[in-house]
Amino acid sequence: MNPYVLITLLFGLGLGTTITFTSSHWLLAWMGLEINTLAIIPLMTQHHHPRAVEATTKYFLTQATAAAMLLFASTTNAWLTGQWEIQQMTHPFPTTMIILALALKVGLAPMHSWLPEVLQGLSLTTGLILSTWQKLAPFALLLQIQPADPFILITLGLTSTLVGGWGGLNQTQLRKILAYSSIAHLGWMMLILQFSPTITLLTLITYLLMTTSTFLVFKLNKATNIATLAISWTKTPALTSLTPLILLSLGGLPPLTGFMPKWLILQELTKQDLSTLATLTALTALLSLFFYLRLSYAMALTLSPNNATGTTPWRLSSTQSNLPLALSTTTSILLLPLAPAAMALFTP
Amino acid sequence: MCFIMYLILFCFVLGLVAVASNPSPYFAALGLVVVAGMGCGVLVGHGGPFLSLVLFLIYLGGMLVVFAYSAALAAEPYPEAWGSWPVVVHMVVYMVGVVLAFVVFGGVWYESSWVSVDELGEFSVFRGDAGGVALMYSSGGWMLIISGWVLLLTLFVVLELTRGLSRGALRAV
Repeated sequence: MNPYVLITLLFGLGLGTTITFTSSHWLLAWMGLEINTLAIIPLMTQHHHPRAVEATTKYFLTQATAAAMLLFASTTNAWLTGQWEIQQMTHPFPTTMIILALALKVGLAPMHSWLPEVLQGLSLTTGLILSTWQKLAPFALLLQIQPADPFILITLGLTSTLVGGWGGLNQTQLRKILAYSSIAHLGWMMLILQFSPTITLLTLITYLLMTTSTFLVFKLNKATNIATLAISWTKTPALTSLTPLILLSLGGLPPLTGFMPKWLILQELTKQDLSTLATLTALTALLSLFFYLRLSYAMALTLSPNNATGTTPWRLSSTQSNLPLALSTTTSILLLPLAPAAMALFTP
Repeated sequence: MCFIMYLILFCFVLGLVAVASNPSPYFAALGLVVVAGMGCGVLVGHGGPFLSLVLFLIYLGGMLVVFAYSAALAAEPYPEAWGSWPVVVHMVVYMVGVVLAFVVFGGVWYESSWVSVDELGEFSVFRGDAGGVALMYSSGGWMLIISGWVLLLTLFVVLELTRGLSRGALRAV
């Protein structure tokens, strides 16, 4: 792509998220979300094959529907309450509609069907931007509204963890697995949103770090399905032995970083006298853990058959920059002891 | 006055059904003309004549005309009007949906439930809509600049999407 156009689009991505972060008016927040949608469309079609164009079309349609729903809910709120403040939403109808619109934007169940197909059609880099950066702006809005009905967020959350775990079980394509992993993590974030927005923000940030690591590992190994992942030991032996730690961190096992949000969420749910919900959610996390374990198994716990000439790629150096991967891998494995500091940092 | 508003909104919904029932783009553009025209009528009746004029000029007279010329360039041999079977099926389903929605939600509507934008009416020089536009140029200056920049971004997005003829993202170009 022309570098000037690329800079303009990436600047648009940054500007859109920044506008949504800093706005207190619903119209400006909507504008930021639309700028994000517009700017990522050409990035998604930059590899001009029909699968990418199909994914872009699906993405555009779902995001446009969600943005239209958001605009409708904002104008309804302005009509019913006379003001456009984000943090002053008192009427239940626009609040519920906004929660549903942002859930569609982000890919929560039951509005999740677009996410695996869209991620599958994209390159790993664009999929990374979609999974991480595009989640920030809707969550900035979700963190600021008070839901009218306690059950809607819990329903969205529990359904998402269930669908994310169950749907990922039958997948061999890595981008679809990461899409279902995204749905499950977003479900965990939704569950705790009305009780402790701090933990939601903490879950979001740790999920961003872990997903970044996973996408970058797959990109370095040029792996898009489990079969290619199985021969990644020939390309990056050291990283292949570290990747199970990243995957198990995504699965939420102690003493890795991914345990921190799950632990705090279960603790907070229990404090709120929702132990059954906490148990159910922990059980759904087992489903996700299964496919993370399957990936670790294929990657590092077993050696796939290969001929002798296939065992030499590790001798060649790769052109991908290693610094982002190193930083995100370290943080997604070792951040658990910083849990008190993280809780203090993310308190709004 | 209320009856005229009712007629205008009725034709608005008919136009929406005509667009959503998936005919060929020429006929859908005709439906959009009806929708935009009726929308302008609603705006006029509720105290927004300036916005109505802007909608007519820019949306109908600018964007829709460009779309009509582009659609004419991409002509198809057997265009589907509102008489062809799939379009009729869509139209019937949408009309049924509209009637259902009216039955479910239309209970509390009565004649004086519509109010106009400016409460001051005869006592103020600035109408609601023109005053809003003036605010957009004064206190809302930064939002105006961002809106202008977003339009430029949209131009780059569209140009990047359609670049490369059939080697690019759109194989049909």
